[in-house]
Amino acid sequence: MNVTGKISDTVAASPLAIQGLTVSYDHRPVVYSVDFVVRPGSMTAIVGPNGAGKSSLLKAALGVTRRLTGDVRVFGRPLEQMTEHIAYVPQRNSVDWDFPATVIDVVTMGLFRQLRWWQLTRRRHTDQAMESLTRVGMEAFAERQIGELSGGQQQRVFLARALVQQAELTILDEPFAGVDAATEKAIVEVLKQLRAEGRTLLCVHHDLSTVRDYFDEVLLLNVRRVAAGPVDRVFSAENLQATYGGRLNPVQLERLVPAALATPGAT
Amino acid sequence: MEAWWRALAFSSGYNTTLVTVGAMLLGASAGMIGAFVLLRKRSLVSDAITHATLPGLALAFILIGLIQGDGRWLPGLLLGAALSSALGLWLVQLVSARTRLGEDAAIGAVLSTFFAFGVVLITVIQSMNVTGQSGLTGYLVGSTAGMLAAEAMLIAVCALGLLAAIFVLRREFLLVCFDADFAQTQGVNTWRADLLLLMLLMAVVVIGLKVTGLILIVALTITPPVSARFWTNRPPRMVALAAVLGALSAYLGVTLSSARESLPTGSLIVLSAFGIFLVSFLAAPRRGVFASLMAHQRFRRRVHLRQGLLSMSRSEPIFDGLTLRLLRRAGHIRRDGVATAQGQAAARDAEHEERLWALYRQLFPGDALHHEHAGLEPISQVLPPDAINALEQRLPPQGESA
Repeated sequence: MNVTGKISDTVAASPLAIQGLTVSYDHRPVVYSVDFVVRPGSMTAIVGPNGAGKSSLLKAALGVTRRLTGDVRVFGRPLEQMTEHIAYVPQRNSVDWDFPATVIDVVTMGLFRQLRWWQLTRRRHTDQAMESLTRVGMEAFAERQIGELSGGQQQRVFLARALVQQAELTILDEPFAGVDAATEKAIVEVLKQLRAEGRTLLCVHHDLSTVRDYFDEVLLLNVRRVAAGPVDRVFSAENLQATYGGRLNPVQLERLVPAALATPGAT
Repeated sequence: MEAWWRALAFSSGYNTTLVTVGAMLLGASAGMIGAFVLLRKRSLVSDAITHATLPGLALAFILIGLIQGDGRWLPGLLLGAALSSALGLWLVQLVSARTRLGEDAAIGAVLSTFFAFGVVLITVIQSMNVTGQSGLTGYLVGSTAGMLAAEAMLIAVCALGLLAAIFVLRREFLLVCFDADFAQTQGVNTWRADLLLLMLLMAVVVIGLKVTGLILIVALTITPPVSARFWTNRPPRMVALAAVLGALSAYLGVTLSSARESLPTGSLIVLSAFGIFLVSFLAAPRRGVFASLMAHQRFRRRVHLRQGLLSMSRSEPIFDGLTLRLLRRAGHIRRDGVATAQGQAAARDAEHEERLWALYRQLFPGDALHHEHAGLEPISQVLPPDAINALEQRLPPQGESA
């Protein structure tokens, strides 16, 4: 048995490979010993009940919160050296929207790594920010105060701030929570474009009914890893019941999982 | 009065001018760092820092007094103040991180304890045989009257250095203030940035002790940023404006106090800052009191106009005098109350908007609540074009629903 061995090729190619990750608040693990390798170029959902540690997993993987144990690698190298390859879209309600800033101010914050301290924000930076805003359909709102935006618009602005970084991997925490249908569609469009460009997306997702439409890979999480892999194979009634502790009722499940998959061999 | 004019024009002597410039630089750096502290919602921390300077100041005075007989040696005193406020700050962090107490409770506990200890030490000093005791009260309420040129120079140079440091760190600070988690993903060490912010705040407070006194320096780090917040909604401008207003407060305060020897500098600076705040509070565009009143009037007229147009579109009679006046003034109806062609078009547009908004409210009740005036502002200013298109497509044909 090889305990210290070299990293595998899958890990070296993955924009985010998590191994043995545990996050704990006051001796209570909220994420326990999770292994997960994100497939490059995929659109991956992290699905699980409330309090399953979905956001905590992301934050620890990003280095925002401290991890108790575990190894996080980006293209095979330690996270700390590679953070510029990851863009992060936090939960919309994690910031104070009364903050004095306009939409373009917030998007420009995504250029932080490009701007040195002696540089002033120039036309070419604003142009970059405008380009991202256009991609999310918010170019007309550039000068608007962020406090005046609706939930869906706030989410679009956050997405634009991530786009401006042109990162290999974009991590989104509940991007569809509390947004209008038009925004949800617009965001999915942008995410699919990114995937078409060969970039990778990792998304905490709460709406089980859209997992099949939006994503191609899924990680079912409830503190521990329940299952992970392609949606077709992993997103099954059995796995979902295991993830949600049997709290999903059969009618709900039937809508989520085609009958053929729910009871293999029945037809 | 004449003396004040002379001071304002920087022509009442080398020393006064130097002190004025030093105080202005101090005001600018206090306003600038204060703006970030305000945006980080930690303005209360500056209160703890200032009160925690007193025991260090007093201890330094005793120590210096024992060594050289006269306790008044500015660099030494400032160092003492800095050390004890750093200790106070560390205790606040420790208490709020290790216990269940919030930061505000920790600040309250540390602030009062340090200040009490400082007061005891001051009493001890008064019974000691050290000269320069009267100089110590200058650190409580601020006094620039007897300030030496070298002291003013020290303050000016330090303030300039602080301004430069804040400028270098401005993006990092802003990022942490708005979204600390995101800042961390951008390679900013949030913990370090917060620490730097507080260290700079502490440095400003300490070098400002002699100018405004240790209690009133708080006002210089809070009032100018709050005033600046009234005038602008963009962070870089707010920070710059806070610096300018801080410098202006210091300028007015120092010159006023130099005109009349007996007036305490610190109090005058703080009162000037408050005067600026009052003007901002009343007269600032958009956020000031007057602007809010005017905006309310505009809003009222808009509601009247919209309701009038909707009544026109539905061929209902209009009785409200203001509504009729507004419609007439806009050219939507003639003097005899008959709709003009332009008025008919406007009425149709209003009706269409109303139907779009109604559909929006029906489809997304949660979002609609978020828009303060949902239904009154042109929908194209509130929703992105693709969202409006989606609405247009789902709009039932005219006349189907009432």
